[in-house]
Amino acid sequence: MTTHVSDNIIEARGLTKRFYGFTAVDGVDLDVKRHSIHALIGPNGAGKTTCFNLITKVLQPSDGAIRFNGVDITAESPARVARRGIVRSFQISAIFPRMTVAENVRIALQRPVGTSFHFWRPERSLKVLDERVDELLETVGLLSLRDRSAADLPYGRKRVLEFATTLALEPELLLLDEPTSGLGSEDVERIADLIRSVSKGRTILMVEHNLSVVSRLADRITVLARGKILAEGPYSEVSTDSRVVEAYIGGEE
Amino acid sequence: MSAGTLLKVRDLRGWYGESQALHDMAFEVGKGEVVTLLGRNGAGKTTTLRAIMGLLRKRSGEISFAGENLIDRMPEHIARRGIAYCPEERGIFASLTVEENLMLPPVVAEGGMALDDIYELFPNIAERRRSPGTKLSGGEQQMLAIGRILRTGATLLLLDEPTEGLAPVIVQQIGVVIRKLKERGFTVLLVEQNVRFAARLANRHYVVEHGQVIDRLEAADVAGSLDRIQNYLKV
Amino acid sequence: MMTLLGISPQLLFGQLLIGLINGVFYAMMSLGVAIIFGMLRIGNFVHGAQYMLGAFGAWYLLNLPDLFPSLGLPSLNYWWALVLVPFGVALIGALMERLFIRKVYELEHAYGLLLTVGLAMLIEGLFNVRYGAAGQQYNIPEALKGGVNLGFMFMPYYRLWVIVAGILVCVATWYAIERTRLGAYLRAATENPDLVRAFGINVPRMLMLTYAFGVGLAGLAGVMAAPIYQVSPQMGHSIIITIFAVVVIGGMGSISGAIYTGLMLGVIEGLTKVFWPQASTTVIFVIMVLVLIFRPAGLFGRETVAAHAADMSTARPDSILENGRLWMAILAIGGTIVPFFIYPVFGMKILCLALFACAYNLIFGYVGLLAFGHAAFYGSSAYVAAFTAASWGFPTELAILSGVAMATLLGAIFGWLAIRRQGLYFAMITLALAQLVYFYAIQASWTHGEDGIQSVPRGYVFGVINLNDPMAMYFFVLAVFLIGFGVIYRIVHSPFGQVLKSIRENEPRAISLGYSTDRFKLIAFTLSAMLAGLAGGTKAIVFQIASLADLYFQTSADALLMTLIGGVGTLLGPIVGAIIVVTIQTELATLGSWVIVVQGAAFVVCVLFLRKGVVGTLEDWLSARVERKRIAAGGGAPVVERSSH
Repeated sequence: MTTHVSDNIIEARGLTKRFYGFTAVDGVDLDVKRHSIHALIGPNGAGKTTCFNLITKVLQPSDGAIRFNGVDITAESPARVARRGIVRSFQISAIFPRMTVAENVRIALQRPVGTSFHFWRPERSLKVLDERVDELLETVGLLSLRDRSAADLPYGRKRVLEFATTLALEPELLLLDEPTSGLGSEDVERIADLIRSVSKGRTILMVEHNLSVVSRLADRITVLARGKILAEGPYSEVSTDSRVVEAYIGGEE
Repeated sequence: MSAGTLLKVRDLRGWYGESQALHDMAFEVGKGEVVTLLGRNGAGKTTTLRAIMGLLRKRSGEISFAGENLIDRMPEHIARRGIAYCPEERGIFASLTVEENLMLPPVVAEGGMALDDIYELFPNIAERRRSPGTKLSGGEQQMLAIGRILRTGATLLLLDEPTEGLAPVIVQQIGVVIRKLKERGFTVLLVEQNVRFAARLANRHYVVEHGQVIDRLEAADVAGSLDRIQNYLKV
Repeated sequence: MMTLLGISPQLLFGQLLIGLINGVFYAMMSLGVAIIFGMLRIGNFVHGAQYMLGAFGAWYLLNLPDLFPSLGLPSLNYWWALVLVPFGVALIGALMERLFIRKVYELEHAYGLLLTVGLAMLIEGLFNVRYGAAGQQYNIPEALKGGVNLGFMFMPYYRLWVIVAGILVCVATWYAIERTRLGAYLRAATENPDLVRAFGINVPRMLMLTYAFGVGLAGLAGVMAAPIYQVSPQMGHSIIITIFAVVVIGGMGSISGAIYTGLMLGVIEGLTKVFWPQASTTVIFVIMVLVLIFRPAGLFGRETVAAHAADMSTARPDSILENGRLWMAILAIGGTIVPFFIYPVFGMKILCLALFACAYNLIFGYVGLLAFGHAAFYGSSAYVAAFTAASWGFPTELAILSGVAMATLLGAIFGWLAIRRQGLYFAMITLALAQLVYFYAIQASWTHGEDGIQSVPRGYVFGVINLNDPMAMYFFVLAVFLIGFGVIYRIVHSPFGQVLKSIRENEPRAISLGYSTDRFKLIAFTLSAMLAGLAGGTKAIVFQIASLADLYFQTSADALLMTLIGGVGTLLGPIVGAIIVVTIQTELATLGSWVIVVQGAAFVVCVLFLRKGVVGTLEDWLSARVERKRIAAGGGAPVVERSSH
C-alpha cells in the first residue's frame, strides 16, 4: 500500500526483556513503516504480547532502545507514550463499564482539551465534544446506543466501543492486541472492516491469531518465535518460509 | 462409547468472563492411549484442559472420567479422581526447591512412580534437586513439571504443549519420555502445535479451531493426511 | 561502671532489653499478619484483638476457680496456658474464617480489611464492656521469678525466657514454612493457588488452617505478654497499627524478613527511648516513611506489581437520588427547618460528621482508594483552628481556614507517600501515618496532651455575626456544610471528576488513554483531606474543643462506617450514614462501651449483607421499579441486540 514511504514510525533495536530466569524477548530489531498495517505473529510464548508491552512502556526493557518518530522513548512512562500518540487496545475488552457509551468515547477526547485537572468546571463544559463523540460512534455503528451504560453492551459491541475510544485519541500508531479474539465470525468481519477503514493515514501494529484476518489486512508480517524474529515480509513470503512452517508445525527429527 | 474409554467430553462449553472460548467441544480418550488436541494459538486447546481440570469456572456440558461426570466438581476433587495436569507455563514454584516441587503433588492413588524411577527418567533433575525450581533451564523445568505428576498415581495426564519453546534435542527427549509413559500404561491427553512431534506419539488427533473439534484423524491416517493437517495449522 | 555519652549502662541495657522484648512480640505478630496476608490476601486488623484474647485466655485459666466457683475447676497456671490458649485462639480464628472471612475472598480486598476492623471493634468492645479500661494483673510464674545479675544489669528470668522462647517460636515457624512439606504447600499456594488445587490439595481448608495458625501465633504472643504488660481490652489495639507499619517496613514475601524487621524495630525503639525519649512512640512510623521514600517495596520485600484502584461504588448515575441540584435544594430547605424541631447541637454534630464522611467518600467512593487515616486531617484541622482561635485570637473564619490549610498540607504529604503503594498497603500506610500525627499530638506542648485545647471561643463571623447564639452557629455550620457538599458535587461532576471515574472503573485503560493517574489520585486525595479539614475545623469551633479523640483511629473508622452504611460512592450515602451513626452514638452514649460493639457489628453486617448501603440499595430498588413499569407499559426488553439485527 504505502511501501514507498521510507521512514519508520517505530524503530526498536536490540529489544530484550528478561524475567526471572527466562528471556521473553531477545534482541528484537523491529521497524514499523509509517502508514502500514504490520502484524506480529508467532506460536504461544513467542514474545508478541511482551513486545507490545515494551513498546507501550507497560514493561521496561532489560536492554535495547525504542525510537518513535526518531525520538528515543525507552525511558518514558506509559501515560507519556500514550500522549505522544502510541495507543493500544487490549486483549480483553477495556471499557469503563459504568459510564455511558458516549462518556467512554468522551473521556478519550477530553484529554487534549486540557481541562482534565479542572475540578471546578462543570461537566457541561465538555459539551463541545459531543459532536465529535457522535461522529466517532457513527463510524463504528454505535450511535443509536450512545446513552446506554457500556456494561449493557454485548461482548462484540464492547470491543467495538473500545476501538472507538482508541480512535478518539487520533493515535499515530495504533497497537491492536488480538482484536478478534473471543468474537463470533460476524463480529470478526465487522472488526476487520473497521480496522481497514481506519488505517488510512495511520500506522497499525497488531498481534493476531486469526490468520485469515492477518492475510487480508497486513502489509508486512513479523514472525516471532522464542523471543526472536524468525522471518519478516509480506504474507505470501512469510507463509511459505520453511522456518516459519517449522515453528508452527514442528521440525523434522 | 467403547469399553476402554477413560475420558469422554461432550457439549463442553466454557467462558472467560463474557467471552465464550469453547463451543460444544467433543472428543474421547481411551485407556492407555495418547491423544492430541492440535490447533493454532487461541483455538481453545488450553482452555479445554483447564475445563477438564475444573480450573475454568464457567463451563457446562459433560466431562465423563471413568464413568463419572466431573463438570461441577472442584479442581481438588478432580485431581483426587486420578487426573494430573502439567500446565503450559509449567507452573514451577519459585519458592520451592526442585525436590520440593517434585514432592508437592500428593499421592492420590496407588501405582504412581517411585521417586528413584522419576530421577532415572530425568537424570538432569536428580543432579539439581537442591536448587530453586526456577533456576532450571526451560527444558529442565519442563521435565520437572512432567516428573512431578508421575508420582501421584494419576492415570490420566494432561500435558499442555510440553515442547513449546524448547530446542530440538530436548523435544526429542520429551518424545522419548512420553513414549515410555505410554508403555507404563499412562493415558495422555496432549495439547500440541508441533504436528510432527505429535504424529509420532499419538493414537488419535483432534483438530481444534474456534473452540470446537473440526476434524479427527486416527494415527494410521496421519501419514497420508499430513498435508491436510498442515493446512489447518500453517501460517 | 562507666557511662556512655552520659547515659548509664543500666538505663541503656535496660531499654535495650525492653526493646528486644517488644521486638519479639512485633516479630511474632507481624509473622502472623504476613503469613495471613500472603496466603489469604487479607489485612488482618483483628490480629491485635486475637493477641488480647490470648492474654485474657491465660488470665481466665488462672482464675477458673473464681470465675466459676460452682464448678470446682482447678486453677490452670502459666504453663497450661502456654499450651492450651494458642490452640483455643487458633480455634476461634478457624471459626472466624469459616463464618466471616471466607465470605469476602472473592470481593475487593478492601472488604477484608473492613470486615476485620469490624470484628476487632466487636471483640475489643465486648471486653471493654466487661472489664473497662483497667488492666488485670497476671503474675510471673513461680519458676521464672527472680533474675540474675549480669554485672552491668539485672536480668529478670521471665524476660530472658520471653526472648529465648519468642525467638525459638519464630525460628520454628520459619522452619515449618521454609523446610517442611506442609510449608511447601503453603509457599506453593501463595504463588499459584489454582495449580495447587489442581494437584488435589484442598486449598480452601488450607486457607482456614493458615488463618488459624497465624491467629494462634497471636494468641501465644498474648499469653507470653500477660505477665509483662497489663492484661487489658486495649492491649491489642495499639499494637496492631504498629504491626501494620512493621509489615510495610519489612515488605511482603519474606518470612525471615518479617522476623528480622520485628526484632530490629523493637531494639531501635528501645534505643530511641534512651537517646530521645520523646520520639520513641513515633520512631517506627518515621522509619516507615523513610522506607516508603527510599525503598517502596520494603526492606526484604520483592517489588510487587501495583494493584489498581477498586470500584466499590454502589451509585446508579441516572438515579434521582444522584441529582445534586435537586438535593442541594432539599438539603438547604430541610437544614433550615430542622433546628426548630431538634437540638441545634445535635444537628451541628450531624452536619460536621456528614461533611467529613462526604469528604471521605470523595477518595473512597469516587476514586476507589481505601484511605484509613482521615482522622489526621479532621483532627489536625480541629487542633489548628482551635489553637489559632484560642491562643492567637484569629477570627473564626480565619481560624477554620488555617485548619483547612493544615489538613490540605498533610493530605498532600500523606498522599504523596501513600500513592506509591496500592490496595491494602494504601490503607495500612495512611493508617500508620495518621497514628504518627496522633502520637505527635500526645507529646507536643501546644496541643495540651490528654486535655486537648478547650474553651475555644466561637467568636464572630466576618466580625459581625455572633456565633455564641446557637441558631447563628447552626446556620453558619449549615452554610459550611452546603458549601462543602456543593464543592464535592462539582468536583465529581467536572472534567476532572470524569477522569477520576475512569480511573476507578479501569485504571490501566485510563493510563493507556494518556492520563497520569497517580497525579489525579493525589489531587483527589488532597481535596478530600482539605474538605475533611473543613469539617474538623468547623467542629472545633462548634464544640469549642479539639481533643485527641479527633485524631484517633476510631475517627477514621467512623468516616469509613458512615460511608459504608450510607452507600459507598453515592451522593447522599455519607449523609444518611452520618445521621445513623450519630444517632446510634447519641442514643447509646449512656451505655458507654457498647457503642463500639454496635459499630463493630454494623461494620460486619454491612460488609457481609449490605455492601450497597442504605442509599445504594434504595437506588437499586428505584431503578428496578422503573424497569418493571417500563416493561409493563410495553417498553420491551432493554436488550441491545435488537438494534444489531
